[in-house]
Amino acid sequence: MDVERNQKIAQQVERWDLYARLTPTIFLVGSMFLIVFKIIDFETAFYVGLVGFAFTAVVWWWWAIFTIKYLVTVLNRTSKNLQDTAIEITQISTEIEKIKDDN
Amino acid sequence: MTTNTYGLIKAATNVISGFSMIAIIVLGVAYMSFSNAFVFQDVKIEIVNNPVENSRDIEFMMIGYKKHECNSTRVYGVAYAEDGTHSHDLNLFTKQYTRNTRPGEEMPNQWSMKVPQDMISGGVYRVSMTGDFVCNYLIFQTEKSQTYDNILLEVEPR
Repeated sequence: MDVERNQKIAQQVERWDLYARLTPTIFLVGSMFLIVFKIIDFETAFYVGLVGFAFTAVVWWWWAIFTIKYLVTVLNRTSKNLQDTAIEITQISTEIEKIKDDN
Repeated sequence: MTTNTYGLIKAATNVISGFSMIAIIVLGVAYMSFSNAFVFQDVKIEIVNNPVENSRDIEFMMIGYKKHECNSTRVYGVAYAEDGTHSHDLNLFTKQYTRNTRPGEEMPNQWSMKVPQDMISGGVYRVSMTGDFVCNYLIFQTEKSQTYDNILLEVEPR
């Protein structure tokens, strides 16, 4: 379950990375093209950019919050499991020592 | 595609994306600053021949400076009677104002307007002068309007 979800998060990070690398350039070049050929004016491009920027910020913010929450949960569970394992190893070592002493 | 080529392409797109982002932010801030700026700053308009005698025109004097390149497309005034009962449109120029004054310099400007024919009884008025402009700055162009209110006008009976 965790492995599947971790892979999903890794894919999402890759997608965000691609989005961050391509969107500004595509938007800038696309807007310039549309403005130069008088299909839209600068005001329209400005408001489209503003809405896109705001939308991206809100979506990214919630994605980051949920991802961090999930990562913290996984980290806590892993720490607890590691602690349990350490305790069990200590107990096993004690028992092995006991068996050795008995023999 | 080799790992090296992929790394190079990734780095290049990162740099291009960074510069695009800088360009978008700089252009966005410049546009906001341009579109929110008033046409005239430190502006003052007065009628210099109060009370306007019979057969004389209303003479306006203005001082102020423009931040950007702005050309007026329409200028008109409305004279509101001080008692609030009526108003007159002022749109007949007898002396034109200097158009397309250069930005960044304080330039005195003056113009004259005919007293409306139906302003027979005279009286005290408050004039609002409105200008519609087309402004340019870098690659931007926008239409703006600015009104200057409360200019005292005294007209003698015709």
